[in-house]
Amino acid sequence: MYQLSICHLYPDLLNLYGDHGNIQALKKRMEWRGIEAIVYPVSLGDMFSPSDYDIVFIGGGQDYEQGILHTDLMERKKEGIREAVENDVVFLCICGGYQLMGLYYKTSGGDEIPCLGIMNHWTIGNEKRMIGDLIFSIEGLDQEPNGYVVGFENHSGRTYLGEGVSPLGKVIYGFGNNGEDGFEGARYKNVFCSYSHGSLLPKNPALTDELITLALKRKYKDFVSLQPLDDHLETKARENLIKRFIRK
Amino acid sequence: MKKTINLIRCRIVIIAAKLTIFLLRLARSGGTTLPGKLAIKLYPGILSELSRKYRIFMITGTNGKTTTSGIIAEVLKENKISYAANKSGANLISGIVTCLISDVRMNMTPRSNTALLEVDEAAFRVSTESIKPAAVIVTNFFRDQLDRYGELYGALKAVRDGIANIPDATLILNADDSLCASLGKNVPNPVIYYGFDEQAISPEQEKDTASNHDAAFCLYCKTKYQYKSRFYGHLGHYICPDCGYSRPEALVRVEKITALSGDFSRVVFNTPSGKFSAQINLPGLYNVYNALAGTAFAETLGFSHEKTVYALSAVESSFGRMESISLEDKTIQVILIKNPVGFSQVINFLLTVENAAVISFLINDRLADGTDVSWLWDVKLEALTDMQDRVSRFFVSGTRAYDMAVRLKYAGIYTNGITIENDKGTMLDAALNTLKPGETLFILPTYTAMLDIRKILKKRFKLKYFWQ
Ligand SMILES: [Zn+2]
Repeated sequence: MYQLSICHLYPDLLNLYGDHGNIQALKKRMEWRGIEAIVYPVSLGDMFSPSDYDIVFIGGGQDYEQGILHTDLMERKKEGIREAVENDVVFLCICGGYQLMGLYYKTSGGDEIPCLGIMNHWTIGNEKRMIGDLIFSIEGLDQEPNGYVVGFENHSGRTYLGEGVSPLGKVIYGFGNNGEDGFEGARYKNVFCSYSHGSLLPKNPALTDELITLALKRKYKDFVSLQPLDDHLETKARENLIKRFIRK
Repeated sequence: MKKTINLIRCRIVIIAAKLTIFLLRLARSGGTTLPGKLAIKLYPGILSELSRKYRIFMITGTNGKTTTSGIIAEVLKENKISYAANKSGANLISGIVTCLISDVRMNMTPRSNTALLEVDEAAFRVSTESIKPAAVIVTNFFRDQLDRYGELYGALKAVRDGIANIPDATLILNADDSLCASLGKNVPNPVIYYGFDEQAISPEQEKDTASNHDAAFCLYCKTKYQYKSRFYGHLGHYICPDCGYSRPEALVRVEKITALSGDFSRVVFNTPSGKFSAQINLPGLYNVYNALAGTAFAETLGFSHEKTVYALSAVESSFGRMESISLEDKTIQVILIKNPVGFSQVINFLLTVENAAVISFLINDRLADGTDVSWLWDVKLEALTDMQDRVSRFFVSGTRAYDMAVRLKYAGIYTNGITIENDKGTMLDAALNTLKPGETLFILPTYTAMLDIRKILKKRFKLKYFWQ
């Protein structure tokens, strides 16, 4: 029996906007296929051991709570996370988690808060929040139509990608990374970053399955592919939004 | 001279606004905010002008504002105090102004001497620039629709800033909520705390044990709180091990909850003027808190226990918060859901229902509902699997029906037991057809979905108009 260990980083602090749904989607879609999923909450004071996990999830938090974990993240977990990323562990980083993987976050007041610096992107704070439904397309994602992914964004930071990091997708509807260049999220090795919560994974099962597949392939040499599931509800939910916001 | 002109202007504005109220009612459209909006535009000082004429009690906080207002209204009624109160959903400045305009006569003298105002957290600071209340009751702070209000701590700050405008008002605060209780620290205001005693809930009554809650970390030094007991969400007996910030001692307390059922609870209160027990004719733990806030209010005003007890048993569910319609042999119950903690509490309540039932979720994503439905994932819907054998069918409807269906699927509800019906009228028919005699249909709508379903129910079962 296959088994994957999922690390939920700071579940008590980074738990905004239905982040729980992403964990739940990973877990359920594994269980429905007889794959064992074990979720480990890793929070303040815990060490992060890079070889313990197959999938790592980092969600978003309010400024107040992100302030609480900053020292802990930089002092206790930074090197472990870097090692895991370089070893192709699968990461899903949403919103605040996405920003934390980058170089720094510059507040609208001009203060520069250093981030993990594992990926070459940076975020500039802004007065105006970018809020609303978000639709973007991921090239090569086997999800109808056109690899479209649906979610909801709510962020004031604008993120820009540097060399070595590629965007996760192209914005079809909404703002995405910065509302300017038409890109959304970031990809580096097996790290998937996005501003999209909503929750992201439940309505986008192909993306969920891709994360699970990558993790299984990395861990089990004999693993080939996941068996298909009945996704008609997820598909309907997604189509409903695409119809509403694009095909007017 | 200027004063006289202002007075005349004010009177003309009131007459215009009253006329608008009258016309809107004639057109059978609620008219609970538009007349106020108009009046403010024509005469910006109208709120201070009118509110000076009343003894004012304000109620704010995330959850339970409307029910607590309803309970306090009963308390005032029992004590023969005439009052004006704004309608639920009309808790922004425009709604407050409309309420006071409706109450004053054409010559600007008030009909009631007291006004009971439910105020949205986001409107609290601005409203206290004009209104000088005798007392403010704050229920709690939970994560609400973040896309609308900004962050949780933003709502808290808005109320804190508002309180700074009204140093004479008595603050009636929830001691068990570390955020709410902090409002009473370092302020000149008289403060009265209310809360549950540590052993108020017996272990088997306690359902909410999730570690994931809104305010787990100290507001002052960001250390994780330790809890001697926790009642729901982040409400409980907390202490910060680092800076020592802790739950203040409560003056008005729930000493013991002796019964907690799907229809009512029985509670022993302990107040400075003595102990008494009461039956609260509203289900759920969250309503015990609302009743406690009402009791703290009654205590502050020196009302007798006897009248408070009577008020608590007389209180009815307010505007869709928990509303029952009895058909011949079936019942429809409508319960508003608006944020994760409120929704989770409704789920806890449903688990106490013993008979078979049909449950219908109506999820809209209009502005007043919150356009982001991510919060559905923060609700512990997994608990519903415990009663799956008692629910003959789940219905989902509303602009986000499919999102809800997906949520139920991942919560572990069998998808062949879920019916998606986009039209709310059709959904109602189908749900009532599924219902067997003696069973209850629970309809759980978000705010605008509640307005939709209420319209349908009103037509079908000839309910009274909702502004009355
Ligand atoms: Zn502290």
